[in-house]
Amino acid sequence: MFQPLTPLKWLGILGAIAAMLILPAVTQDTYLLHVLILAMVFGIFASAWNFVTGFAGLKTFGHHAFFALGAYGSALIGINLGLSPWLTIWLGGLIAALAGLFIGLPVLRIRSMPHVAIVTLGFAEIVRITLSNLTDITRGELGLWGIPAFEGFTLPVVGEVVFSPADKVPYYYLALALLLLSVAVITALMRSKTGLSLIAMRDGEDAAESLGVNLTRQKLQVFVVSSFLVGVAGAFYGHYISILTPAAVAGVDLMILIIAMVLVGGLGTLSGPLVGALVLTILVEFLRDLDTFRMLVYGAIIVLSVMFLPKGLVTIGQRFRRQPQAPATEAE
Amino acid sequence: MSIYLFIEQIINGLIIGSTYALIGSGIALIYGTMRVLNLAHGEFYMLGGYFVFYLAVTMGLAPWIAIPAAVFGAFLLGMAIQRTTIHFLFGREGWMFSTIAATLGLSIFLQNAALLLFGEQFQTVPYYISGIVELGQIRIPAQRILIFVVAMTTIGAMTYMLKYTRLGWAIRATSQDRDAAAVVGIPAERIYMITFGIAAALGAIAAAMLAPIYSINPWSGLPILLKGFVVVILGGLGSFPGAIAGGLILGVVEAVGVQITSSEWRDVISFGLMIAVIWWRPWGLFGSKPS
Repeated sequence: MFQPLTPLKWLGILGAIAAMLILPAVTQDTYLLHVLILAMVFGIFASAWNFVTGFAGLKTFGHHAFFALGAYGSALIGINLGLSPWLTIWLGGLIAALAGLFIGLPVLRIRSMPHVAIVTLGFAEIVRITLSNLTDITRGELGLWGIPAFEGFTLPVVGEVVFSPADKVPYYYLALALLLLSVAVITALMRSKTGLSLIAMRDGEDAAESLGVNLTRQKLQVFVVSSFLVGVAGAFYGHYISILTPAAVAGVDLMILIIAMVLVGGLGTLSGPLVGALVLTILVEFLRDLDTFRMLVYGAIIVLSVMFLPKGLVTIGQRFRRQPQAPATEAE
Repeated sequence: MSIYLFIEQIINGLIIGSTYALIGSGIALIYGTMRVLNLAHGEFYMLGGYFVFYLAVTMGLAPWIAIPAAVFGAFLLGMAIQRTTIHFLFGREGWMFSTIAATLGLSIFLQNAALLLFGEQFQTVPYYISGIVELGQIRIPAQRILIFVVAMTTIGAMTYMLKYTRLGWAIRATSQDRDAAAVVGIPAERIYMITFGIAAALGAIAAAMLAPIYSINPWSGLPILLKGFVVVILGGLGSFPGAIAGGLILGVVEAVGVQITSSEWRDVISFGLMIAVIWWRPWGLFGSKPS
């Protein structure tokens, strides 16, 4: 999976990035850009969750806690201290990373997958309830508003860049930049020694440990980096949507959305979460009129993809092609 | 606050804790037998509550007919769900994760199906028995005493069943070694199905007993599922006696914690307790350290 890319694959990746870059020149449709911005935010979240769950083999079900901590952290620092969102989104990420460290330490000492699932889910509930109870600070379920928007700036050729609800193009490029950065961080880590030990760890924990791989440290590193990325995505989301409620960003529904995306796209693949985020975000928009059925459909998608599409959409091609990913063919 | 009020709160904690124990024992039973963490367990509770509501209130049946009928309905539902989903995932590559994910999907599916079918209004069931039991200064509604008695009797019957009946032996044998059990002729697949059914029935009993004091609504599954998880973490995952002790402890800790803070922090207290236990004794309060 992380062998050097073939020229064809490089071409595909560059083509996709180029298409994303050019898109606003073709259409500036506010609605379409809004859907794509959401898809990219969810794409970061899905990639980071997949980093922990698919690559590191730590099945967490509470990553929405980090999204909420990043979103509320950045928004509250912006509102109360008047700092710029350009700075606070990184602080939001740091808050999420600290929380990831706090919850990661006890969780990682446990080998049992069910324990990890339960504790992470419970932690996320603590975050949700705390956000909704601390009404003096967060305004609870009434929603936190008045979140500052990103300040504009002037670029040499483009001219003035203004972040306003009417013009989605600046947000689009910012989301794209964050997405590319996140995927780059994950890819770089997966190609480093950390990535190799992760793969070894996922395929056989005891064997990897017996060869001197420090499991706890590697896993903690992945967990914290993943929390950070999810926190930054949440922070961006807060400044973009400009209203936050605990139910929307810390509710288990958000986690279910992300899990559905990763499972549909392909758990443990690099492109799967991105494909899943795009496909499901667009699907949701089609289901907008059937809003009451939205979560019903997500539930069904998770069950059906686990049962009938265990490796996700992105590996369908490989299943039909005859040659499997045998070691011998990788030498090419 | 008078000492009597405090004792009343502790007793109430034990009573609610006994239903947490019922939920936890359902989760422990499935996990102990199949090594499947059932995230849809709360939905058995939620649907069990609706079964009781429709039989006892809408159709006006007497509680002693409505509750067993609802529990039997939940038993059938649990078996059907196991047979149509978990059955096909079990034993496949990565089944431990895929069963957790599938039950999570099921949970959200059932919750929203209930929302569409039953609507979003909160329903409730009248008390099964009226009256107040007085012990000196301490006053407890008879309904709450009934909850405790039913929960404890159910758990006692389950323990007896697991220990002394052929079905119980078969369940325990399958949980210890599925292949060896199959060699002596125990149909593992059927045991798994029955185990799921029993766990669902335990959830429905808890729902039937709590229905008069808590409301029945489509969202009631997730909070009770999380309570069940705290119980099994406290008691050691997969341990039946651990689930009983864990449930009672959780009930009392919540009751005392709510006295000190306020009721909106109840769930934070229980999840905080769980994370503290994970730090301190990840294998549970009563389990032994795995070698």
